[in-house]
Amino acid sequence: MSWWKSLFPKRASDAQMNSELRFHIDELTDENIAAGMSPAEARRRATLEFGGHENFKEQVRDVYRIRFVDATLANLKSAFRFIRKSPTFSATVILTLALAIGANSAVFSAIDAILLKPLPFPDADQLVRVDQLDPKNPRPFHLVAPVRLEDWNRLNSTFQTLTGYYTEDVSETTGALPEKLTEALVAPRFLQVLGIAPSAGRDFTPEEEHNGGPNAILISDQFWRKRFAANPDAIGKKLRFDSSSYSIVGIMPPSFLFPNRDVDLWSPVPPDAPYSQDRKSAWYTVIGRLKPTTNLAQARANLATIQSELGQQFPETDAELAVTIEPLKEVTVAGSRRSLWILFGSVSLLLLIACTNIIALLLARSAQRQHEISVRFSMGAPRGAIVAQLLTETFILALLGSALGLLVANAASSVFRSLAGSLPRVEEIRLDTRIVLYSLACSVIVTILCGLFPAIRGTRRNLSQSLGQVSRSQVSARNPLQWLLVGIQVALAVTLLSGAGLLLRSFQELGRVTPGFDPSHILTFQISTGWGETGDLKRLRQRTDRIMETLRATPGVEAIAISVGVPGEPFKYQTEVELAEGRADSEPKLVADNRLVSASYFATMKLPLLAGETCRESEPPTVVVNRAFANSYFASSQAMGHHLVASILGYSGAAEIIGIAGDAREAGLEQPPVPTVYWCAPIAEPGTFFLVRTSNAPMSMAETIRRQIHEIEPLRSVFDFAPLEQHFSDGLAENRLRTILLSFFAATALSLACVGLYGTLSYSVNVRRREVGLRMALGALRGQIVKHFLFQGLFVCVMGCLAGWVLALASARVLAGLLYGISPTDIPTLSAVILLVLVVAAAASLIPAIRAARVDPMQVLRDE
Amino acid sequence: MPIEKSDLLQGTLDMLVLKIVALGPVHGYGISLRIRQISKEVLQVQQGSLYPALHRLEKRGWLEADWGESEKGRQAKFYRLSTKGRKQLESEESNWNRLASAVASIMQTAQ
Repeated sequence: MSWWKSLFPKRASDAQMNSELRFHIDELTDENIAAGMSPAEARRRATLEFGGHENFKEQVRDVYRIRFVDATLANLKSAFRFIRKSPTFSATVILTLALAIGANSAVFSAIDAILLKPLPFPDADQLVRVDQLDPKNPRPFHLVAPVRLEDWNRLNSTFQTLTGYYTEDVSETTGALPEKLTEALVAPRFLQVLGIAPSAGRDFTPEEEHNGGPNAILISDQFWRKRFAANPDAIGKKLRFDSSSYSIVGIMPPSFLFPNRDVDLWSPVPPDAPYSQDRKSAWYTVIGRLKPTTNLAQARANLATIQSELGQQFPETDAELAVTIEPLKEVTVAGSRRSLWILFGSVSLLLLIACTNIIALLLARSAQRQHEISVRFSMGAPRGAIVAQLLTETFILALLGSALGLLVANAASSVFRSLAGSLPRVEEIRLDTRIVLYSLACSVIVTILCGLFPAIRGTRRNLSQSLGQVSRSQVSARNPLQWLLVGIQVALAVTLLSGAGLLLRSFQELGRVTPGFDPSHILTFQISTGWGETGDLKRLRQRTDRIMETLRATPGVEAIAISVGVPGEPFKYQTEVELAEGRADSEPKLVADNRLVSASYFATMKLPLLAGETCRESEPPTVVVNRAFANSYFASSQAMGHHLVASILGYSGAAEIIGIAGDAREAGLEQPPVPTVYWCAPIAEPGTFFLVRTSNAPMSMAETIRRQIHEIEPLRSVFDFAPLEQHFSDGLAENRLRTILLSFFAATALSLACVGLYGTLSYSVNVRRREVGLRMALGALRGQIVKHFLFQGLFVCVMGCLAGWVLALASARVLAGLLYGISPTDIPTLSAVILLVLVVAAAASLIPAIRAARVDPMQVLRDE
Repeated sequence: MPIEKSDLLQGTLDMLVLKIVALGPVHGYGISLRIRQISKEVLQVQQGSLYPALHRLEKRGWLEADWGESEKGRQAKFYRLSTKGRKQLESEESNWNRLASAVASIMQTAQ
């Protein structure tokens, strides 16, 4: 017989059955003719003997069919009976699985929403980010000039269409107080690229996208609900910003949160406006939709050709530019990929530990059920049927576990959403059919992983036949397999705990870092301003000065400064700066972080000056550099007196280095100080933070400051009030998320391993009661019995710890780069983890060991 | 008087079929013929029981089947005993013998 036939249930095909029966009838007919009947009569009799063809064939078919259905029903029935009959066992398994599958599904739902699912736009895989890259002046990093965007859009052959956007905060002034709103200013074709239509109203008309056309805006669903209480009459209403009014032409659907979830409104920027014609002023983040038939490589080649043609046409502005194209999804989620996969890895380890635990439980269980199993064998049940029955039981348990797990996952993902505000796309995390299917798949895998081995082992025939006698006469039931499982659990728990321990230590180290200045008692906030105002720097500067003077005079304010970007949060503005004095080609290029601050910054932040004086806000331009800059690029403090050249807003000409400041961690606590140049430009461009040193608690000053500014700038809104320390803490949000979740998983893993250890040792004590009784009757001391069992448990743990240590070292690579101030193979951390595991394991072993010593020898011997 | 299927002891038909097939490859009609002949017309197996029994035994792996030509040149399904079937037959035979002798001795004692 060919091998594959045995894989499938043999099914008598109807045709074969028919010819088999026809043969029989033919033979009977012959027999009847031989007995002297007429052929017709002979045939009739023969057919009659079969008592109706169809009914009969049905009976034969039943041989193949009913068995399966019956068996499944019977298995289900017996599985439910089994669960009812052993509630403690079943509850343990179901709860363990609910926890493990729930945690797994929760993390998977995040991975699914953030990493796996396409962005929430139609044919989202066609969406790409297009950046222009100037090797000379990386700022503004990826931004594209509007006129260049229009060139690309017109000349390319690989995109359906291209568009761009930028955001700024605006003050809406139709209410009593100016309200800060986030506005996305978009190039034409914005909704066309994203493929989303307004849920009410319409997209912008071509007239609205022309210079001098009517002012139109689209509003977000959230803003519509907040401001207009979801009233459809909102369309046609007007809002006021910058002393112009804008008509609402449409409302976007609630799921449309692009470029980010804070955007309240979208308004078009006319590509034919005079300010849009400068090839040097780049402000758009550009996205495009590829044609369905083109791929990334073709698009890259296409735009590269176009850009080099533009370079010949406009050698001054376009010759040096390169174009990069990346999938939009990649750009959006790449940063959180590693953290998420680490979490998924640890939560899968947790599931593995839970499975190991359940295998041990099932093994113990099937040993107790040997009697039932041998009875079934002796009744003639084939082994396959018994295995199927045991597997059905495990499957029902796993199914109940994962159903409960979905509830856990639901609760867990709302915790996750609140913890993971820093991750992209968190608003898309939800429990949907994909997650339900995933949980279902988990329960099938768990059934196979946990159920198959105990079922096959439990139904070994020789075992089942012999066990009836053995269990009474056996002196010592050794079950190396169960101990191996406990060892595996301990090893996996140690691995997870090491990861969590390292992240915790790294977090602790971060807490010890001093930023190089004094972040306490500093209140930060922003005042709305538009990019358009940077066109008149003189006025902007006057305005900034006036605000700072007013605040400086406010009681409770000790000092005030401004800074573009807030210290403590990543803000990269790294460029190459040139030395007016010139520099040999052999020397390293001067690459520095540029920070635009007011001269009062150093005093306000208590950032010490090591040499020289603070930069001046007046001509001729001057700068301060930090120690890292001075030390990396100049021999012993010869930096002073050199002149730096860079194109920085408000700076022209060479700026003299007149001071050296101490190193500060302004880009976040985990970022070591890099060479930095402080440009003293007291210009509040968008994204500028006001930093106020207060005498009392920082937040208590917020209302006073808001009122003061409203008096002098009634059309602007003041927002983002927060103590500076809050920004430091926010900067560590993803780090914190990782640490909290991994610690939680590790703690769960440790408790599961302890339950496993406790259960296995208890079982072993139970099986060996007789032996213990006998020993005690022969004079063994209680202490010796306790020691015996305690050491049995601890020995396995030590082995598990050793294996876990090796695993932890092997997986250290995963964490490298996520740790601060601590090596991924930090011996003290790993030792502390192992010590913790051993102490907890000792506690878990002690209870069954003491119970063993309480065995009453007389009682046991009487039971014989 | 012929004994019909319902009077046969449960499971006995399977044993009889195995025994007949053990004598050599044979088709369904042949089995019913042999049972009739050997039992001297005492046992009459109904077709409605015979074929489900044959298929059941085949599914359990005790019988194997091949298509071949009958003595009269017709296509027929021939059944053979498998190794597993031979073992099964042995155990059923010995069980049967024990049961039969037990029943016989009770009947004799009671007389």
